[in-house]
Amino acid sequence: MIALITTPAHNIPYLFAAFAITWAVFFVYVFFTSRRQDELEQEMESLREEMRGRDGDGDGGGM
Amino acid sequence: MASVANSARGGLRWNIALVAMAAVMVANMFFTFMFAPTEATSGHVQRIMYIHVPMAWLAFLAFFVVFCGSIMYLWKRTAKWDDLASSAAELGIIFTTLVLITGPIWAKPTWGVWWTWDARLTSTLVLWLIYVGYLMLRAYSANRSQGARFSAVLGIVGFIDVPIVYFAVDWWRTQHQRLVLGGLSLEGDLHPDMRLALLVSVIAFTLLFGFLLRQRVSLKRVERGVREMREDAEFMAEGQR
Repeated sequence: MIALITTPAHNIPYLFAAFAITWAVFFVYVFFTSRRQDELEQEMESLREEMRGRDGDGDGGGM
Repeated sequence: MASVANSARGGLRWNIALVAMAAVMVANMFFTFMFAPTEATSGHVQRIMYIHVPMAWLAFLAFFVVFCGSIMYLWKRTAKWDDLASSAAELGIIFTTLVLITGPIWAKPTWGVWWTWDARLTSTLVLWLIYVGYLMLRAYSANRSQGARFSAVLGIVGFIDVPIVYFAVDWWRTQHQRLVLGGLSLEGDLHPDMRLALLVSVIAFTLLFGFLLRQRVSLKRVERGVREMREDAEFMAEGQR
């Protein structure tokens, strides 16, 4: 069993650094994945437009 | 109409799960900083354990998902297993990176050095390198199916290092602390309140892992959809020329 005492204050920056870095890594990861999601949705929309346009041209050419 | 209702219900369930995860994470912060007692010799810095140990557990879990996903991919050859394995590998690397960052931050004030080449630390670094290699293999393969196949083999073989990392402190004389999680950990090593705080932290971060894995797998699916649409668009453009 570990005896409980008060803490040496000079260790606090290490504790802060460990938690701050961990959460920063998670936020950066979520930021980049959601940005990638937005980019893909935009690309999907522009591809849809392009294909719709080509379909329209193809129909027009056949008439 | 039914599918719209199902999708709305799915969205609601997902939002409830997100709120629950946020609540557990807040509880985790309370247990880490307010509830858990301060350790006698190293002081507050020992609270790094509540983030370092869950990161290590999640790295093992993520690489176990890679292992299972890779076996399923080689067996079934369906893209969903490859998506699952590669998403879990990415997350496993993030968790291992965090283990390799938080570990030295904890080691410096307690051991007096940032790093030592003992069995636990070295095998963890090797684990990180194996799965960085996994992602590089995918990125530099001649085509996607070859990359998926080769990386699946590495995902299975590389998992051998996970038990080595876990048992390293038992098999070799190391500077690293004994096991604090799992069947081989010693009950008397941790104060019961510390054990409870650690358990809450493990649960909270496991929920976060579930959320991130789900997001990453669905992003992989969208990437695949966009790639297929791009190929269709190129095919149509060729046909019209």
